[in-house]
Amino acid sequence: MQARRHSSEGEDHGIDLAPMLDFTINLLIFFIITTSFIKEPGITVFRPLAVTAEERPSGNLLVAIRENGDIWIDRRAVELREVRGIMERLHVERPDDSVVIIADRAARAGMVAKVMDEVRLGGIKDVAIAADTDAGG
Amino acid sequence: MLDFVINLLIFFIITAVFVKATAVQVNRPTGFEQPNEDDSKSIQIQVLDNGEVWVDNRSIDVRAVRANVERMSAVHPDAGVLILANEMAPSGVVVEVVDQVHLGGIYNITFTTTN
Repeated sequence: MQARRHSSEGEDHGIDLAPMLDFTINLLIFFIITTSFIKEPGITVFRPLAVTAEERPSGNLLVAIRENGDIWIDRRAVELREVRGIMERLHVERPDDSVVIIADRAARAGMVAKVMDEVRLGGIKDVAIAADTDAGG
Repeated sequence: MLDFVINLLIFFIITAVFVKATAVQVNRPTGFEQPNEDDSKSIQIQVLDNGEVWVDNRSIDVRAVRANVERMSAVHPDAGVLILANEMAPSGVVVEVVDQVHLGGIYNITFTTTN
């Protein structure tokens, strides 16, 4: 109030930065929290479409299966037999995580089933298959 | 300090990835409860390696799965659905079948593969 009164009287004291600073730091904390927890596969695949697909807020471990059967986790290609070890390690780090398998439309169902089984053996029971709703394209 | 904080903020906004993971949930049979072929209580849907969908020994269109599931769930109201997919079947068709079964009102879906 003191500063504002002064500035209205013509003295140049600048604006009050405290509310903006609070707001900025809140935004900063928000972005820090939301960024680091998602394990991106690092490739794009054509997801199948499903009208009834549900949003999974805790589904933050993404396993991508390409058309030719390659598996990508956390921006690198892995072998099927490595999946179990990776899931065990990640499950210990953050036990609440769930896995979403992003399978290409043309990927083999047998491969998807094998990856689901490996993830389960790794200790993560909450597994779903990714699908885009029509609206999401 | 304010400059530094705003720089950090811009950095995190740029690197932020907004992943909206939408997915369908399916069960997998555990080793002890293998899919029973003559289990009349579960609705069986077969997906062949060329993407054809078979229900009741008939080849049907993917979009007709919903009607078939609704009809069969009227006969067995507490039945689950068993999707028997060939290992070489495209997973896109499997997800479409799951979607149709959801539309038919059943969310208890088990997904298994055959050779």
